[in-house]
Amino acid sequence: MANLNKGRHVGIVGVGQTHHSRRRTDVSQAGLVREAVDRALADAKLTMDDIDTVVIATGPVLFAAVNQPEKWVADAIGAQLKPIVRVTSGGGAGFAGGLAGYYQVAGGFADRTLVVAYDKLSEGALQYSISTLYDPFWGREFAVGIMGFSAAYWRARMDVLGHTEEAAARVAVKNRRNAIANPYAHVKKEVTLDEVLESKPLCWPIKLLDVPPISDGAAAIVLAAEHVAHKSCDRPAWIHGIAYCCEADNAAERSLLLSEPLALAAKHVYRAAGITNPRRQFDVVEVQEPYTCFELNYYESLGLCPPGGAAELIASGATELNGDIPVNPSGGCLGANPIGACGLIRLIEGATQVMGKSENTQIKDAKLALVQSGGGWANLRGCAVLGA
Amino acid sequence: MGLSRVAVVASAQTELRGAWSGAQHIDLISSVVASVFKGTGISLDDVDFVIDSGSDVLDGRSISNCGFLGALGAHHKEEARVEEDGLWAALYGVNKIRSGASSVGLIVAYSKPSESSVDAFWNAQVEPFYQRPVGFGHKAATGIQAQRYLKAHGGSDRQLAELVAARWSAAEENGGVAIDEVPNADTVLESGAGATPLTRLMLARPVDGAVAVLIAREDIARRASRAPVFITGMGTSMDRHAFGTRDGATLASAEAAARMAYGKAGWSDADADVAEVSGSSAVGELMAIEALGLAGAGQGASVATSGKVAINRSGGALPADPIMATGLLRLAHAARQLSTPELYGLNGGAGGPTKAIAHGAGGVGMQSNCVFTLEV
Repeated sequence: MANLNKGRHVGIVGVGQTHHSRRRTDVSQAGLVREAVDRALADAKLTMDDIDTVVIATGPVLFAAVNQPEKWVADAIGAQLKPIVRVTSGGGAGFAGGLAGYYQVAGGFADRTLVVAYDKLSEGALQYSISTLYDPFWGREFAVGIMGFSAAYWRARMDVLGHTEEAAARVAVKNRRNAIANPYAHVKKEVTLDEVLESKPLCWPIKLLDVPPISDGAAAIVLAAEHVAHKSCDRPAWIHGIAYCCEADNAAERSLLLSEPLALAAKHVYRAAGITNPRRQFDVVEVQEPYTCFELNYYESLGLCPPGGAAELIASGATELNGDIPVNPSGGCLGANPIGACGLIRLIEGATQVMGKSENTQIKDAKLALVQSGGGWANLRGCAVLGA
Repeated sequence: MGLSRVAVVASAQTELRGAWSGAQHIDLISSVVASVFKGTGISLDDVDFVIDSGSDVLDGRSISNCGFLGALGAHHKEEARVEEDGLWAALYGVNKIRSGASSVGLIVAYSKPSESSVDAFWNAQVEPFYQRPVGFGHKAATGIQAQRYLKAHGGSDRQLAELVAARWSAAEENGGVAIDEVPNADTVLESGAGATPLTRLMLARPVDGAVAVLIAREDIARRASRAPVFITGMGTSMDRHAFGTRDGATLASAEAAARMAYGKAGWSDADADVAEVSGSSAVGELMAIEALGLAGAGQGASVATSGKVAINRSGGALPADPIMATGLLRLAHAARQLSTPELYGLNGGAGGPTKAIAHGAGGVGMQSNCVFTLEV
């Protein structure tokens, strides 16, 4: 019973993603998945024969109207007769897939696991699909889509913390600028603070430029146990800790100022990874921000600043590319937003930073990355620590 | 490898009914979550994580787990939704404990097909461009499999009907299934067209219900249960989606899953006393029995109801198929047959069963399969 608290070490040894775009009419869902998988396998110097197990993650199946789509896309990636499982968790599906793959390797079920996540949002009615998230008897009548809930949440932060629309607008300016250097981003256009503040209100205080695009895209990673990791690369991104927690959905009892499930996940993960001062210890952070206001919440829930300190942190410039704790050098979801893939894309962006091979702006000497993701109606939240 | 051993500590299920019209999903789920801890000394506070299986499509709700987190007992815990049969959720949970990151996990699967279009659930799985427009679906696949199997191996309608009748009878006795009247072979034969050549009662019957399985690291399991059942091997495999490229009369992915599970358990063959098998139809069950190595090709019927291995003492999936929960129910019943064999009419004590196989399936024409080996 040695090693009770330590499974096998798991590293990310190969990554791949598609060039995300609004509408990929040239490929099916299966074709999209194939592109990301081919790139991840090539990056890991492997073929499908080397892969023991496959995890497939997508957003809700209503997004693209194929039930249990893993059973279809399996053929397109040549994975027939392999162990394949699908994990889903709304917007956090990609991260939840990475987590499931992590445990397949850490628990000794596989030496190499391929995790692929995707959504092809051009093929379905997005806000309609999301609206069915709510309780059919008590929730759907008034909770249309996800934007109404998110606006209420942001407004609560403004009322209680005195944060302004400008604080969130700074996130839009920063992430949209960062996305320009990201070869896979779908939206690459610099905007000014005033442009964000003056953009069309969609559900106030959420305005057009606070909102990410809707994208078609896929992402894939290869996870490997320590004894095979170095066949793929000299410098794997080791997963020092990873967790994904939830809170039950009774809104009346939820404090939306801090994300309780994210704070819980961070507590687990920081303990596993030996993180005591996240602001100082992390070199780079990647978060999944479905609307700009959420990035501010994550700063606080992840302990990058004290509760209520997010507006000050973004205003200080610390989370800019040249700041002491750059957040979303990839541009985050504001650059590309194939929802079910976003969590895995954040893992890829964090991993390539510590592997020293980011295709975006490489943060110099990045050794330790923090990655955040989440889904549901802000009640499923997780994070991971990656180190080279 | 220094990885933890994992055992089934306890399980709970609702009655399986054609329709639980007086209960919502959360009622079914919370009833099994509340009762699974009984007699274990473990409480919800001790649970590190919840992994659940259900279908957004059957539930008519996106991210449906999100709406059931409270009932699942998952508040402030790690939770994951595996949108496959619950046996895959159990596989995830076992890996989590084996890694040493967690010690106690709750696996939950549920289904309420009475509120859904089951045909739509299946047909939406079919390839959308070439197969859906011609109406190909799960029933067609199941019928074609039966035709090919019977052509390759012979076998009569009556044999199949007798198997179905035996399963319904077992389900009434041991399966926790609500049954008005157990059909006999004649009733099965006269139940109308199901998927030619299969009659309606030769197809698995969708039912409503929920099941919870509590799993734990070895030292905790030994304290919590007088008879912990160890999960010693797990295997899964997914066959091609394109049905025309599959071998119609065998389940290659079930064979691969069994090989993997037995290999991990150190078994050279299907060396079990008990087997709980999921079949989409009477022929699907025979194909699964053969793929698991419990009988040779075409010989499934000869061991299905009488043989050295007790197969489907719970009745299996034919009388009660709570889609998404069926395989996890097989795990629950297989584990209970090892821990309390006398409840299933098996010999207890020194000569009692010590090894079991649990099998789950998913997809059109049982495309994907999962196998667990259990030992006491």
